[in-house]
Amino acid sequence: MISLLHYLGMDTAAMTVNDWLGVFFTVAVFIGMVYVYVMVFRPANKDKFESRRGMALDDEDHINAGEIK
Amino acid sequence: METTQAAPIKYDMDVVRWFSIAAVIYFVVGTLIGVWIAAELAWPALNFIPEIAFGRLRPLHTNAVIFAFGGCTLMATGFYIVQRTGSTRLWSNGLAWFTFWGWNLIIVLAVITLPLGITQSKEYAELEWPIDILIAVVWLAFGLNYIMTIAIRKTSHIYVSNWFFMGMIVMITYLHVVNSLALPVSLTKSYSIFSGVQDAMIQWWWGHNAVGFYLTAGFLGIMYYFVPKQANRPVFSYRLSVLHFWTLMFGYVWLGAHHLQYTALPDWTGSLGAAISLAMIIPSWGGAMNGMMTLSGAWDRLRTDYILRFLVVALAFYAMSTFEGPVMSIKTVNALSHYTDWTIGHVHSGALGWVAMVSIGALYHLVKKLWNTEMYSDSLVNVHFWLSTIGTVVYIVAMWVSGIMQGLMWRDYDEYGTLTYTFVESVSAMHPYYAMRTIGGIIFNLGAWIMLYNVVMTVRQAGATRLAKAVTAQA
Repeated sequence: MISLLHYLGMDTAAMTVNDWLGVFFTVAVFIGMVYVYVMVFRPANKDKFESRRGMALDDEDHINAGEIK
Repeated sequence: METTQAAPIKYDMDVVRWFSIAAVIYFVVGTLIGVWIAAELAWPALNFIPEIAFGRLRPLHTNAVIFAFGGCTLMATGFYIVQRTGSTRLWSNGLAWFTFWGWNLIIVLAVITLPLGITQSKEYAELEWPIDILIAVVWLAFGLNYIMTIAIRKTSHIYVSNWFFMGMIVMITYLHVVNSLALPVSLTKSYSIFSGVQDAMIQWWWGHNAVGFYLTAGFLGIMYYFVPKQANRPVFSYRLSVLHFWTLMFGYVWLGAHHLQYTALPDWTGSLGAAISLAMIIPSWGGAMNGMMTLSGAWDRLRTDYILRFLVVALAFYAMSTFEGPVMSIKTVNALSHYTDWTIGHVHSGALGWVAMVSIGALYHLVKKLWNTEMYSDSLVNVHFWLSTIGTVVYIVAMWVSGIMQGLMWRDYDEYGTLTYTFVESVSAMHPYYAMRTIGGIIFNLGAWIMLYNVVMTVRQAGATRLAKAVTAQA
């Protein structure tokens, strides 16, 4: 029977450079994901983000400006 | 509107026009080669000389549709979107033309070398080392121009489509360079610096991320610009689009190992690939819903706007294939599906249903804007839509049935533990489905020819209209 602590344990002495890089990137991605979720779902940021919803439509005034008419 | 200048902006659209026309031509050619090789599998007598045998033309087909058609579509739409959403012209029009001619030179070199059997034998990266270097140079020129155009934009915010394009540019540079590392022994022959299981891992790290960052991220950039544009509605949720982008960037790179279940790779890498694949359903479906919900209040437009139909059906296929892929990555399902035609069906539901359909919608939209005209025939756009949809469905249904049957035949054994079917029996059983796949491909390719005709006539019509206006103005 493998205990949870044993399952999650790390033999740091046996870890290679590749292993440490893997740990670094895994933790960095996890922190990055948490940051993105908090940033996106924070109520205070809602209006700031959603004000960009129509940005693709905003350039319509300049259609073909300086181009084929 | 965030533009800070009142005067009309001059854009560099000539290079976008050329990329758009090239994309439509390559669409016809790439799918035509696909039809031919599908027929070669159904009727092997068609492999009558080595230069056009399945093994040589298959990589030409994948290179033509992914890099020629897909690449020209991405570069046309990318250069268009970055200018329009940044209210600025390109950082360097000259570099954009270098990108156009360089990319087309690569395509010509692929057409010459692949049928001659000059290949690195790495899937989706078959081209030999001198061409790989050229790809890196041209791709970096595209990337530098794109990023510098964003740097000189006149708007304060960088629209989400540009983030998807930049994600694609950065990651494909990294993936292409590492995957293509090789020791040349002559101008036309090299050997990968990786070997054995490392080579397999690098191959599928590239292979699946080419799907993730080139065929998904880049085309999502197209979707987030052209769906709101064609629907004339703001994107449903900008927050969801930001979340979609970052989760795709953080998550996708981990998936490649799911192509190598039950191989010499450590077991945990396949499990990790499958687990992250399943997790990616959330952002993928969030993005698909975001695109579809952009039509809220405007669904009736699907009755009359055939270009919008392409874009929405593309989103439906995107949702379907981003569910199917993770399911196939689960080891239990993978044990049945791997090495069978089910994988080919899955790939084509993404390639025909998602990538091609969203590209077609964007290209029709672009042609109208770039030549300041209406389509020569809206009815032909509608005919193209139905041919594409029916062709895709016929193709993928044939491959699903064929693939599942293959998997079941290969694993079936009798009470003595002997395999029930020989491999040849399973090949023979595939024939009706290979013929059906060819018919699906022919239907899809017919739509591409109709698109080419419609686009050529639209451009000619626009030219004639401009000429008539000029004559009237002079009189």
